Amino acid sequence: MLMMSIGQFDVKPAKAGFVAKCSEALRRGLSRPPSSSATHPTLSTNHNLEENPVKIVVCMKETPSTTVEKSFGPDMRIERRKEDAVINPFDEYTIEEGLRQQEKHAGSEVIALCMGPATATDNIRRALAMGADRGVLVTDPALAGSDAIGTARVLAAALKQIGFDLALFGSAAADAYGGVVPSAVAEFLGMPLLSFAGKLDIDGSTARIERQAEVGYQVAEASMPALVSVVKSINEPRYPSMKGIMQAKKKPIDTLTLANLGLDADTVGAAGAREEALSAEKVTAQRKGEIYMGNEGAADRIVAFLVEQKVL
Amino acid sequence: MDFTLNDEQRMIRDMCREFAEEEIKPKAEELDRTAAFPYEIIQKMAKLGLLGLPFPEEYGGAGADFLTYCVALEEIGRGDASVGITMEAHTSLGATPFALFGSEEQKREYLTPLAQGEQLWSFGLTEPNAGSDSAGTETHAELEDGYWRINGAKSFITNAGTDMTGGVTITAVTGKQPDGHKEITNLIVPKGTPGYIIGAAYHKMGWRASDTRPLSFEDCHVPDENRLGERGDGFRQFMTILNMGRIAISALNVGLAQACFDESLKYSRERRQFGKPIKSFQAIQFKLADMATEIELSRLMYYKAAWLHMQGQPFTKEASMAKLFSSETAKRCADQAVQIHGGYGFMDEYPVSRFWRNVKVHEIGEGTSEVQRMLIAKNL
Repeated sequence: MLMMSIGQFDVKPAKAGFVAKCSEALRRGLSRPPSSSATHPTLSTNHNLEENPVKIVVCMKETPSTTVEKSFGPDMRIERRKEDAVINPFDEYTIEEGLRQQEKHAGSEVIALCMGPATATDNIRRALAMGADRGVLVTDPALAGSDAIGTARVLAAALKQIGFDLALFGSAAADAYGGVVPSAVAEFLGMPLLSFAGKLDIDGSTARIERQAEVGYQVAEASMPALVSVVKSINEPRYPSMKGIMQAKKKPIDTLTLANLGLDADTVGAAGAREEALSAEKVTAQRKGEIYMGNEGAADRIVAFLVEQKVL
Repeated sequence: MDFTLNDEQRMIRDMCREFAEEEIKPKAEELDRTAAFPYEIIQKMAKLGLLGLPFPEEYGGAGADFLTYCVALEEIGRGDASVGITMEAHTSLGATPFALFGSEEQKREYLTPLAQGEQLWSFGLTEPNAGSDSAGTETHAELEDGYWRINGAKSFITNAGTDMTGGVTITAVTGKQPDGHKEITNLIVPKGTPGYIIGAAYHKMGWRASDTRPLSFEDCHVPDENRLGERGDGFRQFMTILNMGRIAISALNVGLAQACFDESLKYSRERRQFGKPIKSFQAIQFKLADMATEIELSRLMYYKAAWLHMQGQPFTKEASMAKLFSSETAKRCADQAVQIHGGYGFMDEYPVSRFWRNVKVHEIGEGTSEVQRMLIAKNL
C-alpha cells in the first residue's frame, strides 16, 4: 500500500568527471523541462529573501536519547522515560531545513508538529527555541502503542487540518528505524513525497530535491503541497540561541486530540496497530581484537593495519 | 521553597551542556597546550547570545536572570575553565559595570556591543602593589581641562588583550575624601587610547587559553565623559561588581568540580584492578560520594546567593561563602580525580591533570579564600 509519487526525474552524478558520460546517457531516456538543465552546476535558483512565503510543517518525534541505556517492556517496545526524551536526532535536520527555507523565503511560517505524550511540549519548545513559529502537539491516551501506519494516519489528519505547502520529515526515527512514516503519510494524503533529500530548493510552487545515490544524485521535483524527507547531509542543525529560548515560551503550542482530528480510537494506537513486535533483543557490543605476537612480525602488521585504517 | 529551575533555565542549561560537550570539550586539551585564545568558540558563543545573558534585550542582551547566567556559566566551565573564565570576566567584570552604573549613552555605546558579543571588555582593579588590599590602589588620574590624565599599572587583567577586546574599565585614585581615605573613580579606557599600553600575555599554570595581561598607563588621557558614574563612587561600584562576580565564579567552580567528578566516574567504571572495575572498591566509592556531596552543596550555595541577589536582599556573606566553599570543593575534587586516575592522572593524556593545574587559581582569582574568610567573618 505504500507508494511514492514522484515528479520528474533527473540523475546527475556527483563526480564531475562522470557527468558527461553518465548524465547524457541518462538524460536521453528521460523527459524533463529544459529549465532544469544539467548544465547548471547546482539547482538553487532561489535568492535570499525572495517573496515566496511557504507554509512549512516540520514533523518531529520524541525518541529516547541515544546515550541512555535502553530496555524493552513486556510488549517488546522500548521503555520510554520522560527525562530521557529528546527530539529524534534525524528531526533536528528537518527543523533546521524548515528554518533555512523560512530564511530564504520571507514571510514563511514554520510549524513544529509532534505526536506524543503531553510532556512532549518540552521538546516542541526546543524546536520553537531553534526558531519555529508555533507548535502543534497531537496527544491522546488512545495513541499509545501506535505503529508506523497508525502514526502516519494521525500525522496525515493533523497535516490536513493545519494546512501546508511543504511538510518535512526526518528519514527515520532513531528508536525504531522503520522509515515508512513519510511515505505512508504521503499515501494517506495522496500527495507527492520527495524522499531522502540531501538538498531542497523551493522555486515558485515547485519543490525540488537532490537525492544522493551511490554513483551520483537524482533530482526530483514536485508541485506543492508536497512532502519531503531529509537526510543528515542536508544541513548542520543550529543550537537554540539564548534569545530563541527566552522567546520560545511566548510562542503558542496547540494541542489536538483524536476527537479534534475526527479519528476513531480503534484505527490508531495499540488497538489499530497491525504491526506486532514478535521479539526484541539487545545488541551486544562485540569487542573484536587481534593480538599480534612480537615474533610474528607484529610491528609490520600493526603498521599495515594503521595504513589500512588511514591513521598513517 | 522551590529548588526547581524554570523551563528557560533548564533549556539554557541543557543547551550550554550540549554546546560544551560538542564544541568546547573536544578542543580543551589543544587550547591548554597551545595557550591559544579560543576565538572560534567565543564567536560561536557570541552568536548564540551567551556573552550577554543577563543584560536587557534593549541593549543586545538575552534578558535572562542572574541565576540563569550562573547556571550557563557552570555548564560552559564544565567544558573548559579557560572558556568559562573568559565568559565570566567579560560578563561579570567587563559588561556588568556598564549595565549597573553606566549612563544611557554609555550603555548604548559600550554595553550593546558587549552584550551582543561583538567585543570583549575587561576590568582593571588588581595592581602590582594592590591585590587583596584594593585600598592600596596606586594608579591615579587627575582631571585637567575636561580630560583625566591616568598614570599607573594593573596586573592579571583578563580579556584585556584579545583581538576582540574593546577596552578596560579601571579603578583610579582621583583625590582624597574628607575622611582621608582615597577617592576612587572608575574610568573607561578604550583600546588604542594613546598612553594605554597592553603588556604581553602572562605564561600561566592554568586557564592557559584565557587572555591575561599586565597593563600600564603613561599620561593616558580620556575625556571626563569616560567616567563611570559619579566621581568617588569607584569603591562602591567595584565592591558590588566583585560581590556579584563571586557568585558567578562559584558557578565556574562547580563546573570544574563537576568535570572532575565526570571524569572520575567514567574512569572508575573502565579501569580494572584486582579483576574488577575500581568503582567496585569502597575506597573509590567513598571518594566519589564525597565529591558528589560537596558539589551538590556548592551548587545549592551559589543558587541561594544568586536567589538572594535577585530578591534584592543582602548577599555579600553568602556570595563569599559560596565562593570559598566551591573553590575549595573544586580543589579537593581535582585532587581526588588525579588520585583516582593514579599514574595516568599525572599524565597529560587524561584531562584531570589539566583540571588540577586549573583549579589553583580558583582559590585566588576574584578574592582569595583568605579574603573570603575575612568578608564572612566581618558579616557574622
